[in-house]
Amino acid sequence: MFKQAAWLGWEMDSNWTEPGLFLIYSIIKPVAGAFILVLMSFVALFIGTGNPDLGKSAMFAYLFVGNAFFIYVASVLFGCFQVIQSDREWYQTIRYVYMSPINFYTYIVGRAASKVLLATIATAVTLAFGVFALHIDLSMSLWDIPLFLAVMVIGLLCVVAIGLCLAGLSFLTAKHTHGLAEGIPGMFYLFCGVIFPLSVLPGWGQSVGRALPITYWLEAIRRLILPSSQIAQVTTGLEQRDLAGIIALLLISTAFFFLLSILLFRMTEYLARKAGIIDMTTNY
Amino acid sequence: MTEPGFIRLNVRALFGRSYPRVIGGTRELSWIFFETVLPILSIAAYVFIYKAFLPPNPDQTMLDKVNSLVGYVVIGGTMTAFWLNVLWSMASQLYWEKEVGNLQLYMMAPMSRMALLGGMAVGGMFMTSTRAVTTLVVGVFIFGVVITIGNPLLILAVFFVTLIALYGMGMMFASLYLLYGREAWNLSALMEEPIFLLSGFYFPVKALGQTVAIGASVIPATLGLDALRQLMFPVSGFGTQFYFFSPELELAVLCVLAAVFLVLAKLSLGYLETLAKREGKLTTRHQ
Amino acid sequence: MTYATETRDLTRIFKRKPKRHLLKRKSAKKNEKENGGPVTALDHVNLTIKEGELFGLLGPNGAGKTTLIKVLCTLLLPTSGSAYVAGFDVSKEVNQIRRKINMVSGGETSGYGLLTTRENIWMFSQFYGIPSKVAKERIDELMHTFGLYDKKNVKVRTLSTGERQKMNMIRGFVTDPEILFLDEPTLGLDVNASRTIREYIMNWVRKREHKTVLLTTHYMMEAEMMCDRVAIIDRGRILALDTPANLKRMIRKESTVQLEVDTLKSTAPIGGIKGIGNFSSKDDIAHGTTNLTIIVEDESAISDIMSAITAQGSRIRSMRKTDPTLEDVFISMVGKGLEE
Repeated sequence: MFKQAAWLGWEMDSNWTEPGLFLIYSIIKPVAGAFILVLMSFVALFIGTGNPDLGKSAMFAYLFVGNAFFIYVASVLFGCFQVIQSDREWYQTIRYVYMSPINFYTYIVGRAASKVLLATIATAVTLAFGVFALHIDLSMSLWDIPLFLAVMVIGLLCVVAIGLCLAGLSFLTAKHTHGLAEGIPGMFYLFCGVIFPLSVLPGWGQSVGRALPITYWLEAIRRLILPSSQIAQVTTGLEQRDLAGIIALLLISTAFFFLLSILLFRMTEYLARKAGIIDMTTNY
Repeated sequence: MTEPGFIRLNVRALFGRSYPRVIGGTRELSWIFFETVLPILSIAAYVFIYKAFLPPNPDQTMLDKVNSLVGYVVIGGTMTAFWLNVLWSMASQLYWEKEVGNLQLYMMAPMSRMALLGGMAVGGMFMTSTRAVTTLVVGVFIFGVVITIGNPLLILAVFFVTLIALYGMGMMFASLYLLYGREAWNLSALMEEPIFLLSGFYFPVKALGQTVAIGASVIPATLGLDALRQLMFPVSGFGTQFYFFSPELELAVLCVLAAVFLVLAKLSLGYLETLAKREGKLTTRHQ
Repeated sequence: MTYATETRDLTRIFKRKPKRHLLKRKSAKKNEKENGGPVTALDHVNLTIKEGELFGLLGPNGAGKTTLIKVLCTLLLPTSGSAYVAGFDVSKEVNQIRRKINMVSGGETSGYGLLTTRENIWMFSQFYGIPSKVAKERIDELMHTFGLYDKKNVKVRTLSTGERQKMNMIRGFVTDPEILFLDEPTLGLDVNASRTIREYIMNWVRKREHKTVLLTTHYMMEAEMMCDRVAIIDRGRILALDTPANLKRMIRKESTVQLEVDTLKSTAPIGGIKGIGNFSSKDDIAHGTTNLTIIVEDESAISDIMSAITAQGSRIRSMRKTDPTLEDVFISMVGKGLEE
């Protein structure tokens, strides 16, 4: 089931163009997004210190890595959101998929799988650009590789779980799905210490950030792939916790979101069926 | 009944097509959330980046610079509303119209195609202006940006000519998109971040380097943003360090761009309509 | 004489877009083979429709009906040949044509969901330069006629299928076109909505001067009842063109036999019988029967038909000889029924 849904997701995403062009397209957007941050950092460093050497700036490394891995968040959340939106409004196939024996929850995860693949490529390209063109110092000991992979898997599970919560919500909010698909990742972008440390946010904003698993995921990744000397230069707002503590919080919050996603999905599905809006179309 | 003359027909058509967009703002009030809160989120994220980089105890000169940078982001974030409107409600609009079945009805109507595009543009400008102003006011209020308005007439002139050039560009894209199927959606998606980058929506465009910035000036937002920022945050920010050309020169170039895009829109629409009719793509859905 | 529409050797060919695949690269030849190559939607069509006529175009799916309408509506260019509407060339004089025509398709979803029914129709009227006041008066009048007046301030997305199609019809009539193209206007509508629409179309053509309608339909009864003349089109070619009465007269020397028999394993033996023209068959699974409509050229063939049926072990439940209908004409020309 998952395999078929993943295949379908890939076909739907890519069938509008040549495969090569599709890959380039999938990379250009995030890389251009990273470039915006490069230029902003350049200007900020130039004005602030008169010395815009990005490679030596711990803050720049912090935001560049955060932004690169956030590609997964934006892409997977959008992917999960988009499944119901596109099947309902665009292809108008939702009723047939929904009434088929496939578990709809599995179907959405499968459909989002192609996004994980593309996000992996885009993240890798962005990081490679950072290392080779901007001289960002990324390093990881061999011993840390299994831990890094484990953190990646937990983080992706967490992102998918959040995506499923949102997919559930989009059962009920047909018209605003596009806005929510951009707005929710936008909130994570703002509160999860992606492109600036939590410490820059006002107190209430920091509290919001500490309640979200993506904050811990990005922090764990940074601690695993950036030199500790650079991490130490940035007041991240999470200094008081060691890596094990960060990963523990990531695990707990991921488990919580997974349970929440199942509950929320079932509840919204029930409400949508009750209201008769599973196969609603609004864009007439 | 006598047939309406060319001008009367097209003025009515333009007004007719702009109507759903003008009235749309009052019908679907959810835009207040989606078109104001969401841009403020991205503006906030970018504002915090600048704040994260700058020293913890800034002097007055540094505060002026921070004000300018934050103001840059707020104005850039406000202008994104227009760019996104041009992409999603102008460039890819004819493609969407094709999908819902409106396009064939538009294309067999006697009005000029420019009246159709003009109606979309006027409606889009009206609709987006109300949203952009809301974002600007909220942004200025939340982030405490100090704006200095020295030459309001020039600011208005730059703003409106930028809009005409931007929507002229959107009209041109709309016709180019006529030949595309699902690529239209993806083309618009592709022109978000790269254009935010090239036109300096969140940083002074001169940081890209003179050559790239001149190339990027083909996109009207580039010079429009630079001129507006110069006129709203003069000298006390970072002076001429990151300013591009003078606002007057930028306005002149924008006037040329506006005229060029409108002419190109007309020519390309005529050509591509014929091509689409020849290839049978004018009414085929879900390609 | 200027015809409402006229086509001369009108041909329209569509090239098929090759399907792109992620991993498999196919040769152009293989692609063409798999996709079937170019499609001839209209094949040297010569057709004239007179001013004031209610003209019907009958044909199965993919026969070329909609393509013909699109060419005449200036939405599609001919590949070769020519087409004229109100005396103007569809390839060159589009602006003159567009002021005189309008089109409504069955099941269309035009307009904007956030506008009301009245606003949507008004918006389309503006593209024809109708003064706003005149447009609104006409809209109200038409809404009364079509029984949609109570829905005038309702948003379009809340309309039912029938109401939406009535709105589409009003959109077509509100510009008071000289020539109206109706592509399956009653498709999927209930009996009452269909009747309202049919009656209005007939009155519109008959009671006003210089109004012409080109109607495509799947419903034989609709064509027979409404149309002054009917053309039967299949695979892009006009197979027959005349009044419904004359078309039926064409096959009067032939007779139509309708049989209800136990479900047949194969209809092939019937096709091979000498003395019959075309025939159509339709299985009725619920009743375990096959319904046959056979155009018989030589009545001596009837006994052969019965033998062919009983040879399969099938029982004949009923048989009747009928006067030819337009459907029989269609079967005789096309070789199958409209619903097959």
